[in-house]
Amino acid sequence: MIYNPSRKSLIVLFSLFVALSVVITGCGGAAPAAPANDEPAEEEAAEAPAAAEEEAVEEEAAAEEPAAAEGDASALRIAWWGSQDRHDRTIKVIEMYEAENPGVDVTFEFSGWEDYWTKMTTQAAGNNLSDVMQQDYARLEEWVSRDLMLPLDDYVESGVIDLSGIPDASIDGGRIDGTLYGINLGNNSQMVVLDVDAFEKAGIDLPEQDWTWEEFEEIAMKLHEELDIWGIGLGLTNEQLWKSLYLGHGEWAYSDDGTTLGYADDQIFVDYLSMLLRLQDAGAMLSRQDELAQYMGVGPENDPIVGGDAAMAIYWSNQITAIQNAAGEDRNFALIHLPRPEGGSASNYLKPSMFFSITKQGSNPDEAAKFINYFINDAAANEVLLAERGVPVSPEIQEALEPLLGAPQQAAFDFVKRVEEDNSPIRPPDPAGHADIVANVWHPEVIDPVMFGLITPEEAATVLRDMSTEILSRQP
Amino acid sequence: MSNTTVDQTLTTKPSLGQRLKNLFTSKKSGVRRHHNLAGYLFISPWLFGFITFVLLPIVASFVLAFTRYDILSPPEWVGLQNFERMFTGDARYWRSVRATFYYVFTAVPLRLVFALAVAMLLNTARRGVSLYRAVYYAPSIVGGSVAIAVMWREIFGNEGVINFLLYLIGLPPVSWLGNPSTAIWALIALAVWQFGSPMLIFLAGLKQIPTEYYEAAAIDGAAAWSKFRNITLPLLTPIIFFNLVMQVINGFMVFTQAFIISGGTGRPLDTTLFYALYLYIRAFTTFEMGYSSAMAWVLLLIIALFTGIIFKSSSNWVFYSGDS
Repeated sequence: MIYNPSRKSLIVLFSLFVALSVVITGCGGAAPAAPANDEPAEEEAAEAPAAAEEEAVEEEAAAEEPAAAEGDASALRIAWWGSQDRHDRTIKVIEMYEAENPGVDVTFEFSGWEDYWTKMTTQAAGNNLSDVMQQDYARLEEWVSRDLMLPLDDYVESGVIDLSGIPDASIDGGRIDGTLYGINLGNNSQMVVLDVDAFEKAGIDLPEQDWTWEEFEEIAMKLHEELDIWGIGLGLTNEQLWKSLYLGHGEWAYSDDGTTLGYADDQIFVDYLSMLLRLQDAGAMLSRQDELAQYMGVGPENDPIVGGDAAMAIYWSNQITAIQNAAGEDRNFALIHLPRPEGGSASNYLKPSMFFSITKQGSNPDEAAKFINYFINDAAANEVLLAERGVPVSPEIQEALEPLLGAPQQAAFDFVKRVEEDNSPIRPPDPAGHADIVANVWHPEVIDPVMFGLITPEEAATVLRDMSTEILSRQP
Repeated sequence: MSNTTVDQTLTTKPSLGQRLKNLFTSKKSGVRRHHNLAGYLFISPWLFGFITFVLLPIVASFVLAFTRYDILSPPEWVGLQNFERMFTGDARYWRSVRATFYYVFTAVPLRLVFALAVAMLLNTARRGVSLYRAVYYAPSIVGGSVAIAVMWREIFGNEGVINFLLYLIGLPPVSWLGNPSTAIWALIALAVWQFGSPMLIFLAGLKQIPTEYYEAAAIDGAAAWSKFRNITLPLLTPIIFFNLVMQVINGFMVFTQAFIISGGTGRPLDTTLFYALYLYIRAFTTFEMGYSSAMAWVLLLIIALFTGIIFKSSSNWVFYSGDS
């Protein structure tokens, strides 16, 4: 036999391979579920572990989609993002609603945070949005500006959506230039979770509600010295802290019109970064390197505080349930305000966790409004939802839920009540460039280089200002 | 309707109606048409898929590369602005180019060397060798999957297998995925581990080398290295060439592994921010479809350039036995 791989045979081999790779990429083309990036920390990263699960259920939901016959007076489509827990609860409420309203056929679609926006954006481009759409405080304004959302004031006036008895402060977050576009589904605020047992063991008194950043640093250091664990695990490198930091000084990360940064004094941010470096160097805070290696994209149920490796953590108040469930019932946690500047105002604000909105592309806005009303005002429905989307805005529902709450939910309710009495007013939603700033400036150009020691906090503050200003000015 | 367009794009004359008429009037000229139509009908599912899901998106992305497009509002023509921004105003872009080149120039040669070495080991007549072949090929079948990337992340995690082994021999743990100088090596190791498909092709090539050459060399007293250097390697160059081209192309497009292992961010310090990953961030995190389309076309040019260089150079080192 003579060995003779001619040019011709090579060409055949090439074409075979190309054909094969087309097949392979065709099969593997589906993008995996994206982890949370610019998500308003409240869901932060919970997606990654749950992604596979979510995708599986998503298929189920997709299978139901064709049932939504267009033009059918009683067909209603609903879309939301969230965790598995939220999907289960929401689907159950939808089934209850269908049982009570036999003529209505509800179809639904859900996914994790980042997939949700990819999906909704694509649907919007295809003029195929659902009737009811879960909306986010940071995005609502942009969607309204694209003329995609329906004003809800008429439904409120006619009483289809009953907002009587709900404090204005809980409604106004859904207003854009005075017009109501989103119905708030629950209130949230950022909290510091304290491991009460660890504090006791270290012989440290629990801090007061108006504790300062100086006290925070001192306590974190002391916890580390006494117990040889991290004083604080995840949270400090999250961009939410950047906003809250300036809120304590009566300012905000962005200006009210969102065209520039909202603060003049970079030194506040420089001091903050310097504190992070001191904590990291002392081992009192999870180092950035270990955070990236081990805690990248994990949810609250995997925070170091769960395993007792840290004594404090920063999350949104509705996430205490996940932490408590993961840590076990025998652990004792206390929830407290974020630290504030010496003599400054509260770093906390009351945030509408999410909205239900009605889109202009849906075929059945009237039915959508009825469903939203059911969702926020029906006692039985809320017993199923059980404040998973934050503390319900209706005082009646709040009262009805109190006896049903488990210890962690009760703690979250109480915490939100304390914030209602001691907070700084909420600032306008994030500008359109926020996602870009978080993904392409905050993490890769500011936090990582500082925490890895490549640039100084002063340089980082300048980079953040320069690059953010450029992005904000580029927005249409 | 799809059939109509497909047919019209392929054969503009005569009209579909005419051809249908020919179909039923079995005149002599109609028989041929009949054959053609049947052929087109057979490939029409593929053709439909190709045009709808490959060709049109490619054309669309080319046009979008010159626009600013966030999906929600209509595309806005910006000329060459995307390219200008990419080359002059985006430090992250250049870090992604650097990370990708680093990966291609280390992972591809390592994978090929490894694949060739294993192929030579398996090119023997030992008992059970076909089982080994199957076993060593297995990682490549599952290699591009999300599950493997997740597994890799656990292996190299702070509390992963590697650190456990280090602990057993008394070494301190290493933060493999958190350390900017080691993170990319976890990805390179993953790439090398998936040596199966080039290995299989090498194996086929090795099998084709006539044993007479080796016998003759043995009679002349050639050592193993000399046989490899003077017989195996030269006769294998067409296969090496083929594998090199394929692996370089694949290397530039690497995505899934980095996406999962770095949590979709390219961290730490953008050392694992591969080109395709950064493109994905621009497309689906910040919804800059125009900018990411422009990036995709530049990537195409980069790949074409390197493939071209390899092809051009091949006349100097690839040996075809047909050549004199």
